[in-house]
Amino acid sequence: MKKNLLYEDDNIVVVVRDIAVTPGQISVIPKQHFTILEQVPTEILTKCAIVANKVSMSVFESLGSHGTNIIVKNGTGAGQTIPHFSLDIIPRQENDGINTQWKSKQLMEDEMDMAFSTLKDAVDMPIITVKKLPDEGPKKIKDGEWGENYMLKSLRRLP
Amino acid sequence: MQPQQQLTEEQQKQLEEKIKNMSPEELQEFQKQQCIFCQIIAGKIPSKKVYEDETCITILDVNPAAKGHVLVIPKEHYAIMPQIPDTEIGHLFRIAQKMSQVILKSLQSGGTSIFVANGLAAGQRVQHFMIHIIPRKDGDQVLDLKDKVIDKELVHKVQSAVENKLNEHLGVKKEVVDVEKHKLEPVKKSSQKKKSQSEEKDTPEKDLLDTEEDEIEEAEEAEGDTSEEPKEKYGDVGLDDIANLFK
Repeated sequence: MKKNLLYEDDNIVVVVRDIAVTPGQISVIPKQHFTILEQVPTEILTKCAIVANKVSMSVFESLGSHGTNIIVKNGTGAGQTIPHFSLDIIPRQENDGINTQWKSKQLMEDEMDMAFSTLKDAVDMPIITVKKLPDEGPKKIKDGEWGENYMLKSLRRLP
Repeated sequence: MQPQQQLTEEQQKQLEEKIKNMSPEELQEFQKQQCIFCQIIAGKIPSKKVYEDETCITILDVNPAAKGHVLVIPKEHYAIMPQIPDTEIGHLFRIAQKMSQVILKSLQSGGTSIFVANGLAAGQRVQHFMIHIIPRKDGDQVLDLKDKVIDKELVHKVQSAVENKLNEHLGVKKEVVDVEKHKLEPVKKSSQKKKSQSEEKDTPEKDLLDTEEDEIEEAEEAEGDTSEEPKEKYGDVGLDDIANLFK
């Protein structure tokens, strides 16, 4: 039986991980088996992403996190160890010792150009348009009952 | 990539003071004006643009973690993910998925990392939300995050702390998701179905998700999208199946 369940519906489950990068790591997992991201149908992926955002918001509010990472390890080359797609939310604190910075790779200009043309040629997809719901705009940031809320705090704290 | 020129200590202090006293609206407007990615989107700064639609663009990162590292960026200025409306989040991840597919196929990489940082503490380097798609291979030392075993009690603490907030955000009523019941009884399919149906009825959030899915489907049909996404309905997968994966 699945432990540590936070949420479940017909398509997805949300669980707190007991093997994780840091305590409080939460996974959004489609119920149907998909090994990698590319296999996940649009509707399910969309839902996973929306729920992941809400998990991230909940983490800000209830664990007092200073930040969150949302990560997909896609494929063994990316360190994926469980052959079932999941979207992971990692709560972050300042100076928590988790390294999510990378050394930027020094590429020659022609290498960049080559990567660019390879990718541009390979993107042969139609332009996708989304209809926004009428009441959807950027979410307003308001001060919470307890003074500044986490969104405002993170805005002031940004680089 | 720092948009800020070097400031003297005095100027830095003044700026900090100014930011501290700004209202949320002023703060957002101020950041928008300073934002280098808004300028890229407006075409004022050149970029290597791989894809563009009404909502977002995809460009090559100029400081890549690997060759072919791309960024999916919403055209609207959002500093962090919680500000973004649901439809747009869905769309951005959908484009990220397509980009990942393109990278896997055309650059023959051994995998991709999809990465989002919310907030300075999470390693966010610019104040414009973006999704990184990084081509990966074994031993490249990018996002080398080590898993460890988390104390059971800590896991339970997190669970009870986050659960209510999450239910609130998802518009789920407490009695609908009863974790203890799930633990004690084997889940019967019929009762589970009934539960989720009633859940759909009294949660506006659910309706929202459904409408949106319909819209995306429609859009796909209109475009004649012929991707290899499986078309069959999603059969229920037993909880055991999922649990087994985590042993």
